[in-house]
Amino acid sequence: MRFRTKLYTSIGSLLLFITIIVMILMNMLEQSTVKMNVVINDLNERIEIASTIKDETSLSSNVLNALLNNREAAINMDLTNAWENSNASLQIAIESLEKKDTQEKAQELISKFKSLHESYRNMGEQALMERKINPNAELTPAFLTDLERTSQRMAQMSELLHGIQEQGLKNELLRSKDTYNWAVENIYIYLVIGLIIGISFAIWIIRSISNNLNKVTEVMKQAAASDFDTIPRIEISSKGELSEIAVAFNKMAKALEEHSRNEKQVKEDAEELSWLNRQIAKIATLYTEVENVQMLADMLITKLVPMVGASYGVFYLKEVNKSDQYLTRMSSYASLSTEQERKQFRLGEGLIGQCALLKRPIHLNQVPDDYLKIGSGLGEASPKTIMILPVLFEEQVLAVIEIASFETLTPIQIKLLEKVNNNLGIKINSIINHMKVEQLLQESQALTEELQAQSEELQMQQEELRTTNEKLEEQYEASKQQNFEIHEVSAALEEKAQQLELSSKYKSEFLANMSHELRTPLNSLLILAQILSENGEGNLTYKQQEYIKTINTSGNDLLNLINDILDLAKVESGKLDVIPKEVELNQLRDIIYRQFSHIANKKKVHFSIELDKALPMTFFTDEQRLLQILKNLLANAFKFTESGSVSLQIHSVMKNITRNQGEEQQLERVFAFSVIDTGIGIEKEKQKTIFDAFKQADGTTSRKYGGTGLGLSICRELAQLLGGFIEVTSEIRNGSTFTLYLPNLQMNNKIVDISTARAEAAVSLESNYLVNSNDQVLKEGSMLKHGKSILKNKKILIVDDDIRNVYALTIALENYDMEILVAENGREALEVLKKHPKTDLILMDIMMPEMDGFEAIQHIRKISRFETIPIIALTAKAMKHSREECLEAGASDYISKPINLEQLFSLMQVWLFTKEG
Amino acid sequence: MFRYYGYDFKNYAFPFVQRRINHRVQIERLSSISALQEKILREPSVMARLLSDFSINVTEMFRDPSFFKSIRTKVIPLIRDYPSIKIWHVGCSSGEEVYSMAILLHEEGIYDKTRIYATDLNKNILEKAKQGTFPLEEMKLYTKNYIEAGGKQAFSEYYKAIDDKVCFHPFLQKNMIFAQHNVVSDHSFNEFDIIICRNVLIYFNKVLQNDVHQLLYESLSTSGFLGLGKREGVKFTRYEDCYREFDGPERLYQKVK
Repeated sequence: MRFRTKLYTSIGSLLLFITIIVMILMNMLEQSTVKMNVVINDLNERIEIASTIKDETSLSSNVLNALLNNREAAINMDLTNAWENSNASLQIAIESLEKKDTQEKAQELISKFKSLHESYRNMGEQALMERKINPNAELTPAFLTDLERTSQRMAQMSELLHGIQEQGLKNELLRSKDTYNWAVENIYIYLVIGLIIGISFAIWIIRSISNNLNKVTEVMKQAAASDFDTIPRIEISSKGELSEIAVAFNKMAKALEEHSRNEKQVKEDAEELSWLNRQIAKIATLYTEVENVQMLADMLITKLVPMVGASYGVFYLKEVNKSDQYLTRMSSYASLSTEQERKQFRLGEGLIGQCALLKRPIHLNQVPDDYLKIGSGLGEASPKTIMILPVLFEEQVLAVIEIASFETLTPIQIKLLEKVNNNLGIKINSIINHMKVEQLLQESQALTEELQAQSEELQMQQEELRTTNEKLEEQYEASKQQNFEIHEVSAALEEKAQQLELSSKYKSEFLANMSHELRTPLNSLLILAQILSENGEGNLTYKQQEYIKTINTSGNDLLNLINDILDLAKVESGKLDVIPKEVELNQLRDIIYRQFSHIANKKKVHFSIELDKALPMTFFTDEQRLLQILKNLLANAFKFTESGSVSLQIHSVMKNITRNQGEEQQLERVFAFSVIDTGIGIEKEKQKTIFDAFKQADGTTSRKYGGTGLGLSICRELAQLLGGFIEVTSEIRNGSTFTLYLPNLQMNNKIVDISTARAEAAVSLESNYLVNSNDQVLKEGSMLKHGKSILKNKKILIVDDDIRNVYALTIALENYDMEILVAENGREALEVLKKHPKTDLILMDIMMPEMDGFEAIQHIRKISRFETIPIIALTAKAMKHSREECLEAGASDYISKPINLEQLFSLMQVWLFTKEG
Repeated sequence: MFRYYGYDFKNYAFPFVQRRINHRVQIERLSSISALQEKILREPSVMARLLSDFSINVTEMFRDPSFFKSIRTKVIPLIRDYPSIKIWHVGCSSGEEVYSMAILLHEEGIYDKTRIYATDLNKNILEKAKQGTFPLEEMKLYTKNYIEAGGKQAFSEYYKAIDDKVCFHPFLQKNMIFAQHNVVSDHSFNEFDIIICRNVLIYFNKVLQNDVHQLLYESLSTSGFLGLGKREGVKFTRYEDCYREFDGPERLYQKVK
């Protein structure tokens, strides 16, 4: 039963019960009251009627008595009326009483009274009638007594009636009291009954409620104690609120269970997620240390594989080689034998390649036993699962990871792999980019270094170029100078050309004489020395003999030198004529042989002259010159050959030869005169220089072989005169071969242009001189040129208000031939500069009246002509900041006072130095 | 060449070697590099010339004045109180920078307790450096550099003009030690507070740069300073982490570990 219903029922029934009881009681009370009222009214009425009867009886008796005793008519009349009235009212009263009082006793009394009254009335009426007929007649005493008795009886009767009535009232009162008592009793009874019912209801309800509540509480307590997985249900025994609660609770329990399940699920999910995130974070922490892809691959594979409980893993990186894309194995985890596993896959090749192509993971769950073995030292087994994952970035495969596990990968592990994979793509990409950037940076660094290196090299080359340039310039200057001199000389020569021409005859005579004049005394000197050295008389000491020998050899050398100089002079002055004529080779051979055979004998050197059979017998050239050359060469050969042989071979060869100056070389048949010796030979480097004047193969250190060093020069010049040249081949210690090539001058009878030959010779001499002595001579020259000469003739402006300073400086500077201008202050300096725009340098004092140094410098710098003029500020040593101000104002340098003259001159040299300088 | 003369240029920057060799081939008027090789093996003088080609001697006094200014204003205050200061000038060339350093230290009043070890591969250039004479024509530039590098005196106080050269005051040479040293093959010979190695590494390839950096690193005292050339740096070398950028733009590094 529903709790409400119960309450309603119990409380309602109680209320109803009470209401009924109250109503019953009320009704009863009302009834008794009404009854009492009726009874009392009735009784009252009856009592009144009875009393009326009593009164009327007495009255009627009185009236009758009066009437009967009184004989007056008038009065009689009234009395008769009263009588009549009283009888009537008595009649009415009795009748009403008769109606009202239903009691037997009363009825009996009433009927008795009625009959009494009837008789009484009849008697009265008879008496009255007799009175009327015989007003004076006296009434018999019997009658009267009768009458009297009747009235008495009537009075008695009425009294009785009255009494009965009062008795009735009294009874009624008693009865009403009884009724009241009963009512009170009843109330108590009902109250008790109601109370009992109420209490029992209350107990019942409370008990039933608390019972159910207890049950619910019990279940709820259990539920609270339970882990919300399975919550106990409340049994639904009856219908009602509690069952509703139970239903609601059960629903709630169900919801709770569901919720807890959900929550558990969520919790599990969250845990998985947090695990996932942790692992991802772990992997992510790796990334920070990673510097390159290899490192990433290594670290990743060693971390990731155990993380997902796998036991094998390989990392493949996509590499692009031209158009081909490869997946190359970068790193592996627990790989056993590298031979079995492939290092590279093409895209689409194998599962790895396929995975890269598909860009989707490939998951193999049932791997055949012999697919792959993962092993340790103790054993090996096949994995259950293989997972191949592509690492993507922006839909591009960057790498592929293969993982093998003994266990099946759980979804969360797979999820981890996927997640890591996602991040990995980004990371690899960023690393690749980073590496690219690094690479670029490195390249740019390398490039800047390279650039610096190049710039330095260039700078150095520039430096070198500049120095060579300078040298060239100097050479140019020198040659210009010489040119100029030559020019002058040639002008002079030209001037004197005619004189010379005129005097040439005399000159050759002079030369001949000269040589004669020189030779004669020399010869006699030599002869005498010779004689003395032989010591015919035997009176010379050994030492004296030595001296004389020295005189002799020196004299010989001098003689040779004179001869050579004369020859060379002749060649160089172009005064050597070439007179080609027919030369017979046989004759030539004989002459030479005659001349040298005794030398050969003397030196015990084998000497031979070979003539090629194919040679013509004669050819055209200047015989004298030819002989001169050959003699020279042979003399040299003998000079440098201690043992072995010297031979002269004459043959003809084809050679490129320049006939005339400026013409192109032509291949031509020429005569070759080879002087071959087995002497000391010439170093390769020296082979060119030996033809230079005053040069010998063994240089200047050894004078063992003597000689002027002019021989070969003359030979070369002469060969050139004859239109040929000399070649030398030599090997040190194995002898030399000098070959003179001469064209047949008959071919064209033109005489070689002597002047060009001369010019050529001159130039070559000059250049030789320049090149050889370049370093020292030019340096000396430049020393003279620079140095103090930098200061010479320079125009210096001294700006200083202290006249003693100016004086001292002027004296010092004038010692160096400098031109000194003086200004006492800045303003004056500007004026002086205006007048002397070619000032070279300014010495500027800073503290001056009118316009101080700073201002002056600023003003000077504003004049475009003096933008770069060196201005040296003279600052006081104590004032450091003023220096900076000077430089800011535009001074080139500064020197502090008191001035150290040496320092000043150094400084001025620095600032006056110019390259042209 | 290495076998014959003992000079090993294989880790020099390849383009540099290429250029120098081509340059020499051109100057010697040879047709090919093998011709040069032949000539080198036959004539030591050619080898000497080639060697001098490899030694690039571009330098200035107070080259990159800001570098010297940084040394003066930032480094010197840190080492001023050292009982003695050792400086190594690697690849000192003709010594301009060594003299600059001496002047700088003199002006800072710590030259007396300083030793400057100046080394170069090229013996001839070292001779030049020992003389302390520099061409007069460069002095305008050097004066400018000196001033920009924060010179405190007059530059002219330090030199004397002799003809077309200037001769630096001998007192500057007092604490200079010149020695031939090959950073490629020779080892560390001391521990230094400052090492100046400017525009040396640019001629080497990465391998050699790393080797030389090792040498420099080993020769540098803890918290010593390393000065490199304008275009060089310790980045990308093995010793990148061992240095702290002391003055980045001037390529001044401080050894930190």
